[in-house]
Amino acid sequence: MDWQPILDIAGKFLAITIAFTVVLLIVAYTVLAERRVLGFIQGRLGPNRVGYGGSLQPFADLLKFILKEDIVPDKSTRFVYFLAPVIATMAALMTMIVYPFGPDVNLPFLHTTIHLVIARFDVALLYVLGVTSVGVYGIALAGWSSNNKYSLMGGLRSSAQMISYELALGLSLIGVILQAGTLDLQRIVELQSRWHGAGWFLIWLQPLGFIIYLMSAIAETNRVPFDLPEAETELVAGFHTEYSSMKFALFFLAEYINMFTVSMLATTLFLGGWNVPFAEDIFGRGTFLFGLIGVVGFLLKVCGFLFIYIWLRGTLPRFRFDQLMNFGWKFLLPLALVNIFITATLVFLNVL
Amino acid sequence: MLALLFILFAGLAVGCAIAVVAQRNPLYCAISLIGVFISLACLYVMLAAPFIAAVQVIVYAGAIMVLVVFVIMLLNVEQEERRRQRLAFLVPAAVILAAVLIAEVAFILSSVQLSPVTPTQNVSDVGLTSSIGTGLFTTYLLPFEITSILLLMAIVGAMTLARQAKMLSPRARVVPGAQILALNVIDPRLPLDDTKALEASTTTEVERLLAIAHDHDSTPRD
Repeated sequence: MDWQPILDIAGKFLAITIAFTVVLLIVAYTVLAERRVLGFIQGRLGPNRVGYGGSLQPFADLLKFILKEDIVPDKSTRFVYFLAPVIATMAALMTMIVYPFGPDVNLPFLHTTIHLVIARFDVALLYVLGVTSVGVYGIALAGWSSNNKYSLMGGLRSSAQMISYELALGLSLIGVILQAGTLDLQRIVELQSRWHGAGWFLIWLQPLGFIIYLMSAIAETNRVPFDLPEAETELVAGFHTEYSSMKFALFFLAEYINMFTVSMLATTLFLGGWNVPFAEDIFGRGTFLFGLIGVVGFLLKVCGFLFIYIWLRGTLPRFRFDQLMNFGWKFLLPLALVNIFITATLVFLNVL
Repeated sequence: MLALLFILFAGLAVGCAIAVVAQRNPLYCAISLIGVFISLACLYVMLAAPFIAAVQVIVYAGAIMVLVVFVIMLLNVEQEERRRQRLAFLVPAAVILAAVLIAEVAFILSSVQLSPVTPTQNVSDVGLTSSIGTGLFTTYLLPFEITSILLLMAIVGAMTLARQAKMLSPRARVVPGAQILALNVIDPRLPLDDTKALEASTTTEVERLLAIAHDHDSTPRD
């Protein structure tokens, strides 16, 4: 009997388990980091009692979520009400399989090469955009099915906002695609490993695209200053007003996973992915240490992005809804088109 | 394995399609339609056309259906009532036509199996992004451009219709989020006519239109 296909599938399952566990752990600690950093910005301490410096706080929070009473509103549309958090979390998790966490590594004694990316295929970038666009339904349906006017307003705002900013987000990536000439994320990262691994050419050559991406990504993940769908001063808690216990936790999780995946995409496309300057010169391509440094570097860059998210939350006030729409349609979208025009011209003239 | 996956996704597509027609809550119909689109995308992936699959999800499931759900939520469409069928005499015709359609499909399937087996080519790159892009911008450039113009015409047409039906004032710029104020809000003596409206996109404009004295700028803070 041929064991190879079964081994392959088992390997994939192992990879998915490891990647998802690590990412979920980082996400859990992002919540803690957010509370501590926000505390620092606002001149207070933040949670620091559970474990050393608050290090067990995420698990205490999780326990609290599980033990809370699960309240379902009487007049809610039950099937959709239960479906919505599942859609939100699943869409957030599903994009994680295409990101290259590190370079290909030759294992020292087993004489095999492992790829530090779960699935590598031709349309990886489009897959990310597609799955992200399906994630809107989680929030929109949650708002509708709760049978609560604040939830409904939150859901409506979120779907309008996400449709608007998806355009700017997609268009800001086209400059990168034009320069790389491929949609394969691992290939895009490999293209950035020139200049001793410091040629993160997409931030040097695509600064405009990077800024547009950053702004529309924050809007896509419904974070401050674009967190209109859950603006607590106007809408109680927006689309998740009627959600309690684990179902609320799922929305919470989905938001933070979305932050993480959006940061991973930014790192992959604009910050050179797993490329760490001079790592290849020191350790050599394909060695185990090179792979380790790559993975750590990748995760550090992503954490830098997460810090920017938290920093913004502590610094900026919220937009008004018409300002948000004007900003998206009248400023970001034309700017993204200008960026595409310039990049396409330069690529056509063989300057880039 | 592939056959199993095909049966799964095809069954899902057909089941969701039936639910689209059978459900009476419009939002459930919309959700089922999203299910159809996603199962079709899975089938495209199995047919080695990943680009089409991704576009199917992005455009249909991610953009068009979001608009549909948005409208259903905005209008708060109630559950459709079961009415007596007025066109009952069409039911036998529908059955006959469905039978003809199934017979056609069966005929095509059987004739395909009767015809000599065409050798399959090697792994092709037909469904990949680069080959689709090359095709679109070289061989099929003219149809591609014509389709773009068609879409542009549809957008302009929608705007024109909306303006003709007096749903928008001729000078109105369409800015999502702008507030439309009916004229009789500003002046109660005017006749009740909701086709005329003013547009305001900032708070100061609204205050100016409604002639509300805004003293929060003049009063000193602290």
